[in-house]
Amino acid sequence: MYAVAEVLDESCVAHKGCRLCIMYCPEANTIMFDPEKKVAVVNEYSCKGCELCVVVCNAAKHQAIKMASR
Amino acid sequence: MDKEKIKINPEFYDIMPVEYQELVENATYGKEDRGWKDVGSSKELIEEHSLCAGCPESIAFRHILASLPNPEETVMVGSTGCTSLVFPHIALHNIHSLFGNQNAVASGLKRALAYRFPDKIKDVVVLAGDGATVDIGLDMTLQSWFRQEKFATICFDNELYANTGGQESGLMQKGFVGKMAPAGKQFEKVDMPGLAKTSGCHYVAMLTSSKPNRVEKVIRNAVLIAREIGPTYVQIYTPCILEIGKQMMEGLQEMRDSEGPGQRFEYQEFITDEAKAYMEAKHPKKKRKKKRVEEKKVD
Ligand SMILES: Cc1ncc(C[n+]2csc(CCOP(=O)(O)OP(=O)(O)O)c2C)c(N)n1
Ligand code: SF4
Ligand code: SF4
Ligand code: SF4
Ligand SMILES: [Mg+2]
Repeated sequence: MYAVAEVLDESCVAHKGCRLCIMYCPEANTIMFDPEKKVAVVNEYSCKGCELCVVVCNAAKHQAIKMASR
Repeated sequence: MDKEKIKINPEFYDIMPVEYQELVENATYGKEDRGWKDVGSSKELIEEHSLCAGCPESIAFRHILASLPNPEETVMVGSTGCTSLVFPHIALHNIHSLFGNQNAVASGLKRALAYRFPDKIKDVVVLAGDGATVDIGLDMTLQSWFRQEKFATICFDNELYANTGGQESGLMQKGFVGKMAPAGKQFEKVDMPGLAKTSGCHYVAMLTSSKPNRVEKVIRNAVLIAREIGPTYVQIYTPCILEIGKQMMEGLQEMRDSEGPGQRFEYQEFITDEAKAYMEAKHPKKKRKKKRVEEKKVD
């Protein structure tokens, strides 16, 4: 079992311009902006489960990412 | 190299790895106005690699590769260390040199490129750890600056030898006890930005990787000034979370804690008059069309 990040679409404020998790995820091409749904989306195959995205999202009080096990 | 050369023959398109297809379709090669704002919407020039989960070197790599002004015509030179685990996974020409030799290799490379392609702009960028730059390669680093070699040197300063388990480095802080340095560092952290200034660098910056807009500005300056004026040096704090006993999500906070006023990674920037005049004349500040939301918040 391993942990990956998951974005809660209803809480994500990427439509207002937030890109914090995308900026700080250490892995490239792992959190992307979905231009249709206007939310951040995690490419699970390259997520290493570090939880940095959760930290930055929570620090900005958006609480839009949680960790899920696979 | 230019983007034409990596295009896929339509006959073979469907059998190429999806990562390669994305690179050809959606990477920011060839775009004048590239920068960190492209991450999340274009393909980055870096693929999966084996750095530890949460490693700040990895964050710095992303921001640097997104900020290089001319990736098609850039050759990076790396050295042994954790950074060398990333180089095989970047979509840029790069050379792995023997540990410590990176600035000597880059000197020859830059001269050979200028000779071979006199009508082209070719950027050479060294990226290596603190052990490679300041200890084992210090001779090569300084000599390249004395000789005014035209390339940028970027040092990923994690204040120890991470890749071999935490030995003492010249950039380690005084008093720090590493896993493989149990007696504690007895000497001061080497003032490498100071040495860079007195050794002939035309642009010197010390920063952490906590602010992508700052990394972008610094990298752009370092590469463009090195292209025509002379050597440049950038030292970025990329803490080794593994060796300093931090959790994998704590790297960003560690960088922020270390860059406050009076801290050892407080932002410093130095530019010679010659380099300043060149930048103002040839590369005036870019005006962004879109307002960068959230940028203020993270500053
Ligand atoms: C000539 C030579 N000497 C020693 C080594 C062993 N070695 C491999 S990585 C490394 C330390 C790298 O430290 P640094 O440059 O700070 O990079 P980091 O891993 O911290 O990013 C050493 C000493 C080597 N590979 N080659
Ligand atoms: S930091 Fe949170 S709110 Fe902002 S884009 Fe990422 S998931 Fe959405
Ligand atoms: S857990 Fe880490 S690797 Fe995974 S998406 Fe979040 S920041 Fe990126
Ligand atoms: S050992 Fe340290 S520097 Fe190397 S990948 Fe892990 S966290 Fe990063
Ligand atoms: Mg190091």
